[in-house]
Amino acid sequence: MSLSKHKLQAVFWCGLLAFLVWDTTQAPPVDLRNEPPLIAAGSGRVSSGGHCAIAK
Amino acid sequence: MKRLPLSLLLLLFFIYLTWSVSIRQAVLFAVGIGMGAALSGARFGFTTGWRLLIEQRDPRGVAGQLVLLALASVFSLTLLDQYSELTAALGPPSISLLIGAFVFGLTMQIADGCGSGTLYKAGLGVPLNMGILPLFALGSFLGSVQVGDWLTLGQLQPIGLVTEFGSTQALLITLAGLALFGLAARLWVGPGRTWWDRKWLLGAIALAVLATLNLLIAGQPWGVVYGFGLWAAKIATAAGLFDPTANAFWSQSGNAQRLSEMVLMDITSITNIGILGGALWVSARAKSDSQPLTATQWAIGLLAGFLMGYSSRLAFGCNIGAMLSGISTGSIHGWIWVPLAFAGTLLGVRVRRHYKL
Repeated sequence: MSLSKHKLQAVFWCGLLAFLVWDTTQAPPVDLRNEPPLIAAGSGRVSSGGHCAIAK
Repeated sequence: MKRLPLSLLLLLFFIYLTWSVSIRQAVLFAVGIGMGAALSGARFGFTTGWRLLIEQRDPRGVAGQLVLLALASVFSLTLLDQYSELTAALGPPSISLLIGAFVFGLTMQIADGCGSGTLYKAGLGVPLNMGILPLFALGSFLGSVQVGDWLTLGQLQPIGLVTEFGSTQALLITLAGLALFGLAARLWVGPGRTWWDRKWLLGAIALAVLATLNLLIAGQPWGVVYGFGLWAAKIATAAGLFDPTANAFWSQSGNAQRLSEMVLMDITSITNIGILGGALWVSARAKSDSQPLTATQWAIGLLAGFLMGYSSRLAFGCNIGAMLSGISTGSIHGWIWVPLAFAGTLLGVRVRRHYKL
């Protein structure tokens, strides 16, 4: 692996990490008392997450 | 980085998610790591499988994909019948889907990776795919912004085989459709070809199990593209470049909520991060085989990555969200996606050859 590829990899992961840290600090805190169920199947709560197939 | 410190970092992030976000998200992160390890360990490339079939009449990749689709359909359609909380990947048959799937199939050959392929190759450290990822996200975001306009060209309501026919008939129809794909591939490649390859089969089995776990835990099928669009939408909104309240897609309550929440709360985002992590873990021992690219090849590849992101939103998913999740949960849009994307790929492999990618 060349050095430039290592550098590119470092930039990529630092960029991703920076985005996640920025997002975590600017978003409202997670309501830990309202956690989603560990397993949706059988929980009685229909999933409402985003998915690529949704049109809106 | 070596595997031991990498494993510790992944474990630390798992613990952070468990402690600070939710146990479900931590487990989905682990599922994503498994997906990334399976995709990169087996080099399970949807793009490569189709290209091998077209250029070398080698059916092993496509056979692996058919096994994956069949197994995932058996598991998913059974679960959808048993648990009303689970949702299918239902996209609307539309003009947008036809155009989007064709362009996606074309550009994924030029970019040498579909949605999952771009993720795992970026995780492996392939330079072009690392460069493509942010542009894929930008394209996916712009596609989501404009998808409402595209839908005005014509659309039907999403059609789900389970709703229409029940799970048993839906499964029989799905398996019959997959057998037809297999038959078409057999007619194309001719007799005397090797169909089964251990690497592709193990990858197919692992991915089918992990995709089913995703459905069981998250309540929705595996997806890739939505997460990318969400990341770019968050940045554009924070920078004051985009007003989500004035957009048909992002003003919808679910999307608006996810825009305001931490990205680690989003299902698709957390499995995407897991896939990157799993591929990085595999890369610690994998041999690097990417060739240096010329400036023209970089430009063509990055443009293809952007278009791939845009078209995947128009097509209501990539090879994962539309093809694997759509077909395995009985969505008609998945069945429309495959022939259109394959038609695009027929053109894409020629463009790829032209630029010596």
